[in-house]
Amino acid sequence: MAASTDILREITEREYRWGFVTPVEEELVPPGLNEDIIRLISQKKGEPEWLTEWRLQAYRRWRTMEEPRWAKVHYPPIDYQAISYFAAPKQKERPKSLDEIDPEIRRTYEKLGIPIREQEILAGVAVDYVFDSVSVATTFRKKLEDLGIIFCSISEAVRDHPELVRRYLGSVVPPGDNYFAALNSAVFSDGSFVYVPKGVRCPMELSTYFRINAAGTGQFERTLIVADEGSYVSYLEGCTAPMRDENQLHAAVVELIALDEAEIKYSTVQNWYPGDKEGRGGIYNFVTKRGLCKGRRSKISWTQVETGSAITWKYPSCILQGDESVGEFYSVALTNNYQQADTGTKMIHIGRRTRSRIISKGIAAGRSQNTYRGLVRVLRGAEGARNYTQCDSMLIGDKCGAHTVPYIEVKNPTARVEHEATTSRISEDQLFYCRARGLSMEDAVALVVNGFCREVMDELPMEFAVEARKLLGISLEGSVG
Amino acid sequence: MAVARRIAPAPELAGLFPRIAPQLPGGGALAEVRERAWRRFLEQGLPSVKVEAWKYSRIPQQVNRPMGLARPETPPAAVVREALAGGPHARRLVFANGIAVPSLAHLGGLPQGVRVLPLEEAIARFPERVAEAFARIEDDRGFTDLNTALCRSGAWIELDPGVELTWPLQLLFVAMGGEAAAMTHPRVVVRLGEGAKLHLIESHVSGRDGAVFTNAVLQAEIGEGARLVLERAVMLDADQTLLDEAVCELAAGARLLANGATLGGGLVRGELEVHFRGEGGEALLNGLYVTRGREHVDTAVRVLHHAGGCHSDQFFKGVLDEQAHAVFAGRITVAPGAQRSDAYQVNRNLLLSDEAEVDTRPELEIEADDVRCTHGATVGCLDPNALFYMRARGLAPEVAEAMLTYAFAAEVVERMVDADLARKVRRAILRRVPGGARLETEGLLEEVPA
Repeated sequence: MAASTDILREITEREYRWGFVTPVEEELVPPGLNEDIIRLISQKKGEPEWLTEWRLQAYRRWRTMEEPRWAKVHYPPIDYQAISYFAAPKQKERPKSLDEIDPEIRRTYEKLGIPIREQEILAGVAVDYVFDSVSVATTFRKKLEDLGIIFCSISEAVRDHPELVRRYLGSVVPPGDNYFAALNSAVFSDGSFVYVPKGVRCPMELSTYFRINAAGTGQFERTLIVADEGSYVSYLEGCTAPMRDENQLHAAVVELIALDEAEIKYSTVQNWYPGDKEGRGGIYNFVTKRGLCKGRRSKISWTQVETGSAITWKYPSCILQGDESVGEFYSVALTNNYQQADTGTKMIHIGRRTRSRIISKGIAAGRSQNTYRGLVRVLRGAEGARNYTQCDSMLIGDKCGAHTVPYIEVKNPTARVEHEATTSRISEDQLFYCRARGLSMEDAVALVVNGFCREVMDELPMEFAVEARKLLGISLEGSVG
Repeated sequence: MAVARRIAPAPELAGLFPRIAPQLPGGGALAEVRERAWRRFLEQGLPSVKVEAWKYSRIPQQVNRPMGLARPETPPAAVVREALAGGPHARRLVFANGIAVPSLAHLGGLPQGVRVLPLEEAIARFPERVAEAFARIEDDRGFTDLNTALCRSGAWIELDPGVELTWPLQLLFVAMGGEAAAMTHPRVVVRLGEGAKLHLIESHVSGRDGAVFTNAVLQAEIGEGARLVLERAVMLDADQTLLDEAVCELAAGARLLANGATLGGGLVRGELEVHFRGEGGEALLNGLYVTRGREHVDTAVRVLHHAGGCHSDQFFKGVLDEQAHAVFAGRITVAPGAQRSDAYQVNRNLLLSDEAEVDTRPELEIEADDVRCTHGATVGCLDPNALFYMRARGLAPEVAEAMLTYAFAAEVVERMVDADLARKVRRAILRRVPGGARLETEGLLEEVPA
């Protein structure tokens, strides 16, 4: 097993490649949180009165709330007054074209492997770049506008489409939903807004790249996606951050709304800085993501590959309100060193003949703790509801932990709910089988782990699948193409 | 805004211990253990729904009200006769509201090295050992401490190394309701020496309706290579409440087979905690609940693999009708270093009514890598294809449904060891399953339980 040990070491001890800092001039508000800071953020962004008030309400609510402690994660208390709640690259005006973006920022994205131009042309992916707190560029806007699709930063949406924002903001994740959602509602800085009009099938993947750059800040972005009747949109989200010894807080909120027969596919490759081998530093990723299948036959599908963050606390969920609506959750969570992940989903079946499917693959290595926590709730009226859940955990090494905590609540006798879970270590037999056929140990491990995650990887859009596979630290030779 | 995690005991309950402490059996060390448990109980209070393990349970709120302590009674002979199990040679202790009834005990001819006695007798004969046993288990439920503080009866069962009790031993608990609600806190201590074998049957039946709250605790230490079969059947009335905790400690190579069936009782919560303390242990845990009316049945199973190389298997099924509510929480914990652990768990539920509810939470907590752990949970209704198949062969829908439901439940009964008990459980299932009576009267079952 010497070779396999080496690979494990390589996987578990690999340096974080995205840990550089961009020397761009930043505009920071002083650390601390109070009503004045919130007014200042709101004013900096030129927001209307109703939104300022909305933020203040959320803040007042947040002050009465307690930080949740039920997740299987441990961290020292967070000093919310030590965080700077707004950081923006200094610039005079919003750039008219991509050429006007600070070259340093562009270089950052190039280092991250997403050259704005190239990707625009080659991949045909429309991208919104969020650098620290603000969106720096959105590509392909014109083409999307022709179809009536709105894809812009949420700040612009507040300015240009206030009626839509006002109608949907907080409608799926209300400001008082939980501690971190309340905090986000009070201080959210930027994020993406998408509206796809009736009957339109968005011709390209929409993508946002999030980047935390400045020290001593948190990132609190807010994403709102509305798919009107019969429309379709696929949205991708990626994220990285510099290496720092301090822990930085990322508390985002994502809200999705799918009306009648609409479909939203939301994919995430989360690669925030996980901290070093000793568990120093890294991002606290405390995120609330929820989709509302409001219309009949609507569908929301979450796919996530979680490899980063020191601590992940994240449960992308679906409220299946419309009759015959569908919710899906596909997840790979890989933790190593001292990472802690507590992630899963909630599927709330309200409408008749609603269906949900949960596939979760957890891989724990090093001294990490990896927890799947999920809820499937079938309400009285959800006649003929159907859920299938499969949670598999793989352990690599004897110092890590893998946990499964599913909650199943059923109040309708016609519902069919199935849950199954397994936990085991990487199979010696499978490795032996591969080795006997001439594969190197490295390739064998790669193949087995890849096979373990395949159901989820297959759900990722192509552009992301490539990155995700790289992130898992395992090549896919012979399995694709 | 936030609901407190603990419920403060009602004033009547909080003031109880100082009043009755002098009348409780045992002084000295035992009195100290009781005192300590009571103080902890007052400090901790009862768990609210905010405590994860009690999330779906209404029991703590329900029992936190003025209740007198149960008094000695004699249960009706017909009820006792009806509830006998374990075959003609079974030895027996009978309890009315948790208090041993000496006149109904049958403990004659026990082999050398087997000691079975009512707990009050054990306290009189060797109080220090009882105190030491009591002090051994405490947890954060509150109810165990309540039992320790207020317990006045129960059973002390001890087998010397290598001794086998060939006949089953039945502990028959008869709940006798009265005009006022009463509570009782029986305690059973089981100690099996190395290689000893015991088959224990615990029955809970109702002798008279009326509110009774039984807060029972069983603690078993199963020595190296010893084997305990623990079978439990609960058939109580709708206004009776049973909280039954069993904590089993398994030494190396020890084996436990626990079979439980709940077929009646307003609020029933069975907790089963298994600790593997040595290598090579085995625990097979099977359970069934068939509920109806407004019954609430709560099953909490915790299997803790502290040592490696042990095997555990949980198999729990439930049938819910009318407004019944069932909760299943099963947790498998594999501690760091407990390599080669094998742990399985299955929970299947059948919902028969629009108003029934089931909440199930199968949990895995794994901190070692060389393990094989799986769990599965399902909730659903009868398979329409199976129903169609049976109807196509001329069975009335009611009969087809009853048959499938009975078969679903009987899968657990098949694993029961004692034929008497299994028969009683089968009969109770037929009484509870819609259309079950027809199966019996029309001779549609291959083997009709007598």
